[in-house]
Parts: sequence; C-alpha cells; structure tokens
Amino acid sequence: MTDKQGGGALFRTKDIVRSSIALGLVTALAAACGSGATPAPSVSAASAAPASAAPASAAPASAAPASAGASTAASQWTTSHPFKAAFIYVGAPSDAGWTHAHELGRLAVQNAFGGRVETMYKENVPEGPQASQVITQLVNQGANIIFSTSFGYQPSMVAAAKQYPNVLFEQATGTALAPNLAEYFGAGEDGDYLSGMAAGAASATGKIGFVAPYPIPEVIREIDAYTMGARAMNPNATVRVVWTNTWFNPATERQAAESLVAAGVDVLGDGQDSPTTGQVAEAAGLKWTGYDSNQESFAPNAWLTATTYNWGPYYVKEVTDAMNGTWKSHFYYGGLGDGFVVMAPFGKSVSPATQAAIIAKENAIKAGTFDPFTGPILKQDGSVGVPAGTTLTVMQKYALNWFVQGVIGSPKG
Amino acid sequence: MIAVERNFDTPRWQRIALPIVSLVIAAFIAALVLAASGHDPIATYRQIYAASFTSTGALTATFVYATPLLFTGLCVAIAFRMQVWNIGGEGQLYMGAIGASGVGLALGGWPQPLLIVMMMLGGVLAGTIWALLPGLLRAYLRANEILTSLMLNYVAGLFMYYLIYDSTSYWRDLTSPTALVFPQGKDLLPNASWPGIPIGSFTLPFGFVAGAGLAVLLLALIRFTRVGFEMRVMGDSPAAANYAGMRTKRMIVAVMALSGALAGLGGASQIGDFSHVLDPRGLQQAQYGYTGIVVAALAQYNPLAVVIVSILIGALINAGFALQGPSFPPGLVGTMEGIILFSVLGGEFLGRYRIRIGRALQQTPAVGDASGSLSVDS
Repeated sequence: MTDKQGGGALFRTKDIVRSSIALGLVTALAAACGSGATPAPSVSAASAAPASAAPASAAPASAAPASAGASTAASQWTTSHPFKAAFIYVGAPSDAGWTHAHELGRLAVQNAFGGRVETMYKENVPEGPQASQVITQLVNQGANIIFSTSFGYQPSMVAAAKQYPNVLFEQATGTALAPNLAEYFGAGEDGDYLSGMAAGAASATGKIGFVAPYPIPEVIREIDAYTMGARAMNPNATVRVVWTNTWFNPATERQAAESLVAAGVDVLGDGQDSPTTGQVAEAAGLKWTGYDSNQESFAPNAWLTATTYNWGPYYVKEVTDAMNGTWKSHFYYGGLGDGFVVMAPFGKSVSPATQAAIIAKENAIKAGTFDPFTGPILKQDGSVGVPAGTTLTVMQKYALNWFVQGVIGSPKG
Repeated sequence: MIAVERNFDTPRWQRIALPIVSLVIAAFIAALVLAASGHDPIATYRQIYAASFTSTGALTATFVYATPLLFTGLCVAIAFRMQVWNIGGEGQLYMGAIGASGVGLALGGWPQPLLIVMMMLGGVLAGTIWALLPGLLRAYLRANEILTSLMLNYVAGLFMYYLIYDSTSYWRDLTSPTALVFPQGKDLLPNASWPGIPIGSFTLPFGFVAGAGLAVLLLALIRFTRVGFEMRVMGDSPAAANYAGMRTKRMIVAVMALSGALAGLGGASQIGDFSHVLDPRGLQQAQYGYTGIVVAALAQYNPLAVVIVSILIGALINAGFALQGPSFPPGLVGTMEGIILFSVLGGEFLGRYRIRIGRALQQTPAVGDASGSLSVDS
C-alpha cells in the first residue's frame, strides 16, 4: 500500500464514525434498559443539604466579595473604560436551544448598557481542564464578571474564584458558593410539568418518548415533572426515556429520537440543547414539546409548547449590581413566578380546553398554590417517593435521583 | 489525460522545505479568507501568536492542549507508519485515564515519585490491553482493525460513563454534596498530581516532557534497532516482510500494543497533569484521540515531528478560544485549521507524486500501487 491509500483509509473513517454512532446508541439503549440493580444514594441523604449550598431562602448574605466591587461606582464604567462581562457556552449560540437562550441574555446585557459594557463569549468550551484555560484567558482579557453556563465548569469556576478574588463568577445550575462565586438557575421542572400536560393531552396512544441528555438530578426531575404533567391529562400515559450522554449533538439526538419513534411513541419531548427531536417529530407526523428556547419554527406542525429560560433580566441585574459594587454572592433559583421560566406560545394543535387547563396550573404555580413535587408521589417501583402532604425542597429537588411512576427507563443511564 | 505518478527521488531537503512552504501557502489562503470576511489578516495573525505563546498564561494553556495531542499523535504515528490502522487512540486514552486514576486513588498514600510511576504504569497497562484486543483480532483473525479499534472507542466511553454515572464504582464520588447533584469522580489526593516544571511564569507539564522523551526513544527504536528495521519493512510492504520470514503477526500485535500504551499514557497524563479526577464528559468532549490522527498526519508519522506539530495544533486550538467572540465566529477558526491541514497534506502529496497532464509514461506505479513509499523517509 502507499501513503495515498493510508490517506484514503483515514478519510473513510468519517463514514465509519457516523455509522458507528448507531451502534453506540444501541449499546447505550441496552445499558439504559438493562441496569437497575445498583443501589443509589437515597434522597434522605440529600435532605441533609450541603452546608455550602444553601437554598435561595437562606442565601448567605455574607460580605461583598473582596472584589473591585466595594470600591466601584457605576459611573466608573464608560465607553472608553467599559465593564467586561464574559460568558462561557457549552454549545454554540446557533444551537437554537440552551446556549441560544443564554446568548439572548448576553445581548440583553449589551442592549441595556450599550458601550459602557463590553460582552464577550466563548463557545463549544469542553467541560474539562480546558475550561480553566478559557477562564484564565477571559480574566487576562479583563473580564470583571464571568458567567459559566454548564454544570461541568463548576470545578474550574471554584478554582478560578479562589485564584482571582477580584473577579466575580457566576455558575449556572451548580451548587458551589464562594464570596465571589454565585449560583443561578430556575425551576425548569415547573415548566416541564406544563409541557408534559400538553404532551399527555396530545397523545392518542398514551405513549410518549423523551430524549434526555445526562442521567443527573437536573434532568431526572424534569422528566419526573413532565411525566406527572402528562399523567394529569392522561392517567395511563407513559414516558419512555432514551439517554444521549450529550447536551448538544444533533446527530446523536436524531438517532435517539428516531429510536423512540420506532418504539411506537406518538409524542416526543426532549431536554437537549438543539431542536433536532422536533425535526424528527415533524418528519414522522408526531407532536413535540421543545426545551430552552421557542423552537416553533423548526417544527411548526409538531410544536406543542416548551419550557424556556429568560436569562436576560437576571444577567442585566447581576451586571448592574457588579457595576455598582453592590454584587453579593447568592444562590438564585427563579421560576414561573418571577418570569425566569417562561412557557413558549402554544402550537396550533393545542386545543382551547388543554390550553385553559395548562394556564390554570401555570397560574397556580405562579401563585405558589401548586408544586408538582408535592406528595403523594410514587416511584417507578410503586414505593412512596414523596409522602402525602410533603413538598420537596429545592435542595431535595437538586438531588432527586429516582423516576416517578409512568417513566419507562432507568434513571441511571 | 491526467496521470498521477510516484516521485521516487524526493531529495531530503524537500521533505523539510515542503511542509514549511505549505504552511506559508496556508497562511496566505487563510489571509484571503480573513480579508474577505472583514478581518485584518496581519492583526489576526498577531493575535493568534499572542494568544498562543506570548500573552499571560498563553504558553501554559497551549501545552494543556498540546500534551494529550502529543501522546495520541505518537499513538497514531507509530501505528499508521507500520500500516496498522489504529483509530482507537480515543478509547485507549479513556482506558489509560481509568487505569491511572484507579491507581492514583488506590495508592494515594505512596511517596509521590513512586506514585507517579505507578500511575503511568496503570495508564500504559490499561491502554495496552485495550489496543491488544483489535491487535490480536487483526493478527490472528484478520478482523479489520479500523472497525474494531473504532468501535472499542465507544465501548470505552460507555464504560467510563458506567463507572461514574451508573454504578457505585471505586472511581465515583458518592459522598460530597456536589456529587449528589451531578455524578462525578473522586478527586485524587494532591500527592497524585504530577509536578509541572516552572520556567518563569510558564509551567511545562511533566507529561509533555515524558512524551517528548518517548518520541526520541521511538525514533531511535525505528531507526537503529532490528525490531525497528523489521517494522519499517512491514510498513513498506507487509508481503515483503512475510516473504523475508519476519513474524508479521507478532509485529502487528506489538505495534498495536505500543500504540495503545502511548495513548494510555496520554490518559494517565490527563489525570496526573491536569484534571486529577476521572471526568468522562471532559475527556469525551475534547476528542484528543481523533485530533491525534490529524497531528500524526501533519507530522508525516515522524515521532519528532509529532512533538512540534502537537505544540502547533495545541497553540491553534488555544488561540481559537481566545479569538472567538461576537466579531470573530469560531467557524472561521475551524476554516483556518482546515486550510492548514489541506495545504500541508496537499503539499506532501505533490511532493510524493507528479501530476502529468498529457500522455502517461508506460508502467508507472499509480496511486494505490503496492510499491513502497514510506521507505523513503525512514
């Protein structure tokens, strides 16, 4: 053989990679269905909430960070000496989902302050040692506050907060706190309960499929809420889960969604960063609930609704506080009530009666009279997950690792 | 008619000059793309240079990317050169990381130098075993190692996920508060961190030094030993090696094992030098194994060239993050990387082959002919 053939072999591997994804997925499926024997840490262990991660109500009002904060006044920041806010994205702003929603938030900051704030972002940053390097770059580029938008950056953010006490750090979906490190996220599960209602009402067979990223509590509680919402409308509904082990990989998401279609579901939901699942649903003539952003345009006929996150107002507030020197470390957990979580517009196939039922629940959640995670809630195996009269706390939700009745699949990947 | 002919008398200077000329051409084409998209090419190149090497912390960051690429690049270079197509560097790196972190957790109390050696051995052993599977299958059952080694990448990736997400394995952290929210590996003790070598503000990772030393040893192995000679013959023509009575099956297994050992050591370096915890997502998102194929190809499968190319590609990836932003889409960074790869590989092709337009000479060895070409540069 000659080099040329070597080059040819190298090129062919691309096709092999593509086709082998299918095999990998089948293996993943087998793993998802096969496991179930390993004991998992119980929820009660989680209720001893980590001291470092107090829930919103007990947010540490500790002293302002040893940052430039205390001495800064908003007037200090001018177009020639702008405040610098940086964002670290796990995907690309063009993902039409999670990162897109953050990008809208960044643009909201830019629009709110004009030239007095310079925003920057880094996309497709891997969640490993590389993240630390990107944070260092941003600090060297003069970032005053850094928002990292995926849980996997937390170790890097904790280390950076220690290393750069004069820079403010904010970590989405995490738990660690420090004088110059805050946490922020919101009750996506409340929105997912409402999406689940739309899915349950739209399903004729009661078989719903869910394309899920990682088997972690954040996703598990969303699937649980989604399932409970579906069963509120359709008591016999089931939600079949397929794990992709990625936040953003349209090819893998497509394979997962197609495997669910092949399994006979008639409504799809997803917790992925891209609207690929919706495109699969559209092509198969099924219905679909999205996630993260308003993705109606990607699948106008399949579209039901979606849980979306409105990061903009939060980012504007944080940057304002940081510029004024009034920024304090905190654990923010927004929701439907304060407009952090917003339901996307209903699709044209959602009937007025279903819309009315969903809006009634939405108003109840906003008013604080309804929480999806109020007992009695039964686990997959029929045992009691949440006893009657009890509602899970934020930290208990953060550590939720079991599926409710009606979910088909394993919460352990 | 157009004919592609083998160029047998490539002078030595050409093999050094060609990649450099190709790089200059790549820089020129990329400059056109930059200018066309409204960016000042000179300023952009200055920025790339600063972000890769001269600005604060830049060189350290470059080596964070370069170190794993050095190992996976060597892994591919040594195998491809012998016509053993090991695409499994990615999975072998995962297994190396699993092995090294397991050893690091188990022997946390050992004295640091000994612990580092044991972690390296753990990584090497795990990577070797993982590469032996496709190696043995190829040698004795003629299973295509491109397919088997590639498939094992997914198996290794899923195994890594199993350890951290789906089991109460030794690697998984089951106690810390953050681990309840998001499954994660146990942190290694500080003892298990490989000491970097500080040069001013720059920290040279220990793993990179080890990898560069190995590259020299590999070159010596190929050039000056009997085994190396047999490997070269096999790389040029497996049929000839067989005919000469060489034990090609054993050679395939040995090359595969060596290749896997290098990737496994890369996994150990990821744990020891950088992450200090088994982190499936970080390892998988980085895709060092696949990028290693690019590194090896650019280095023309020469171990010493792999050292240099890994730094250059590491610098480019690092600069890619520094450059990207609202006014500089990362797609442009990817485009530049693609132009460089295309130019260097294209230049190499044009150096090896003549393209003759018109009538072809009689009996010229065409592309894909079994006549050797790798012998020329060894």
